[in-house]
Amino acid sequence: MSQALEYFQFVLAPQMLNGLTIGVAVVLVAIGLSVIFGLLDVVNMAHGEFYALGAYISTALYALGVDFWFALLLAPLIMLPIGYAIERGLIQRVYQHEQRHILTLLLTVGLSIVLQDAFDLVFGPNTLRPDNPIPGVTEFFGIYIPNYRLFLLGAGAVVVTGTWLVIFRTRLGAMIRAAAFDRDMSASLGVPVLRVYAGTFAFGVALAGLAGVLLAPIYSVFPTMGHDFVLLAFTAVIVGGIGSFQGAVIAGLLLTQIQAISSLFISPHWTEPLVFGIMVAVLVVRPQGLFAWVGRG
Amino acid sequence: MKTRILSHLMMGAALGLSVAGASAAEPIKVGVLTPLSGTYSPIGEQVRWGLDLASKEINDSGGIDSRPVKLVYEDSEANTSVATRKAERLYQSDKVDFLVGLVNSGATLAVGQIAERNHRLLATSVSLSDAITGSKCSPNVFRVNAPGGMQANGLAAWLAQSHPDARVFSIGPDYEMGRNTVASFQAKAKGAGLNLVGEVFPPLGEKDYSPYFGKLRSARPDVLYTSTAGNDTVRLFSQLDSFGLRQQLTIVGASVAVTAQNIGAIGKAAEGFVTVAGYSPDIDSGANRSFVKAFQASADGSEPDLYGADSYGMLYFYKAAVEKAGSTDTDAVRSAMEGLSWETPQGTKTMRAGDHQATMPMYVLQVHDGRFGIKQKLDAETAAVKDSCDRF
Repeated sequence: MSQALEYFQFVLAPQMLNGLTIGVAVVLVAIGLSVIFGLLDVVNMAHGEFYALGAYISTALYALGVDFWFALLLAPLIMLPIGYAIERGLIQRVYQHEQRHILTLLLTVGLSIVLQDAFDLVFGPNTLRPDNPIPGVTEFFGIYIPNYRLFLLGAGAVVVTGTWLVIFRTRLGAMIRAAAFDRDMSASLGVPVLRVYAGTFAFGVALAGLAGVLLAPIYSVFPTMGHDFVLLAFTAVIVGGIGSFQGAVIAGLLLTQIQAISSLFISPHWTEPLVFGIMVAVLVVRPQGLFAWVGRG
Repeated sequence: MKTRILSHLMMGAALGLSVAGASAAEPIKVGVLTPLSGTYSPIGEQVRWGLDLASKEINDSGGIDSRPVKLVYEDSEANTSVATRKAERLYQSDKVDFLVGLVNSGATLAVGQIAERNHRLLATSVSLSDAITGSKCSPNVFRVNAPGGMQANGLAAWLAQSHPDARVFSIGPDYEMGRNTVASFQAKAKGAGLNLVGEVFPPLGEKDYSPYFGKLRSARPDVLYTSTAGNDTVRLFSQLDSFGLRQQLTIVGASVAVTAQNIGAIGKAAEGFVTVAGYSPDIDSGANRSFVKAFQASADGSEPDLYGADSYGMLYFYKAAVEKAGSTDTDAVRSAMEGLSWETPQGTKTMRAGDHQATMPMYVLQVHDGRFGIKQKLDAETAAVKDSCDRF
């Protein structure tokens, strides 16, 4: 009994707690994706690069002497007009086309390649590592956890709740959902549909940027950093049920727990095929996603 | 001595007349194919500093057999296909007599075959893979530095003495070097009676090691062996520290893990780290003290590390061999190199005829107050690895 307790305290609990912080990181990237995917029906392949852009903007702000807390506020605000302009200038042009899914997918893939090369040219190929704004370690019941990862847990909860409130509990959110649900009816009721679409896209992009600022102190900043999380985030969105906000959150946390616990027994390398295998299985067996029933608010 | 004076006179005559007979003063060309850009450029810089200093000293004191040495540099970009292309050019267009400087073990193995085809010689002062003078040895390739196997031998011997019966966990980057160094260390550690409790191979450039800590925790090791390099080591050590694992572990590793380049970034977490290497600037000998002084004067104050010292000694190895052979002819120089003993700042090195691997004393080094100190000296026989080359 005491041996099992010790295993839990020393091996299992730290691993699950660490899995939870990684889960929060995935969810932070996934909610922006879910907003753009679920409401606008655009598969945004450049989402990882917007996440990287947020991280790069934060390092540029640090270089100008801005501190972490201010950058956390400022970087998403800088991302908003960028996202707005990209939607109006690029996405909107192909949005009405009957081959919308393929065109937006190709467009955003191209955009992601351009952005990646731009990071490489402007900031250089080397990895940048912002200082940890909350150094130190907290110990409870013999489990050590870095303070910044604890902060990340709290910040993740705040961002997820805040986003949910905006979409499902405000007049603005109702307008966005209405425009997504029936474009012509909303327009006839006076909703400025084009601006709402661009604003929603900008909101998703700003969320990606926020995730970039929050995760940069742990995962460093480099031109291809977008790849690492966006695949897992896509998996969370698909497994959770396309368009289901809560589904993406639950699936993100669940998949990273599967990764964390299975990597005690198999090489952490092999947890990726496991997670993507789950995604393939879900697409085959239950294409609407595991948690689509959780509802839309 | 008499011939030496005679050739000096001849060189003077040749220079004075600058007609015919120029062959006596024609420079001996040594190609240096080393990473001057990219990830491994800090190592390439040490190689360059060591070779430049040695060639300056040799030329100031009359050259090799009265012929000056000329170093011809090319950037290998730590990339095997670039290295093989430039090696062909150095051998065929630049007509270098001897090629040195390669860092990446894969590139050294590939260029070794080019040396054989061109019937010319190659030596490395950096590459670690045991295969270079072991299973994939070549009659045209020599190694003057200590390979991974010699480092592992020394580490296992030290651990068996200081931490008998310890539980050992290993971590290495997932490519040729990482897999090779971990396998080599584990074989030696097992032989020394230590308990192997697990191994993980995160990809090169891993950003977050925390998912691997579950396996590490459940194995409950006393000793962690690592062959991660550069910034990977910085992240590994600081994450071990911030997850409360660092203080329970004795960390040992390959000489690439903690170096002068990353020890500052690792900071306090590096304290107590143990490695075994063929060189330390602290070696207490007159030859080493004057080498360190001359090196710092020509390298903007930087201390030599093992790459700088091994590269410096390599040019003296070539000088001794050419003077013994009396020419730069490949076959003559090869036989002169086999069995040759020569002096370096690290002590006497001997080139084994059987596998073209140099043997040398090794040093157990431990980080103390952010700097490596010598803990123990191992004589050349203790550290040496058995000759396993059967190609020549």
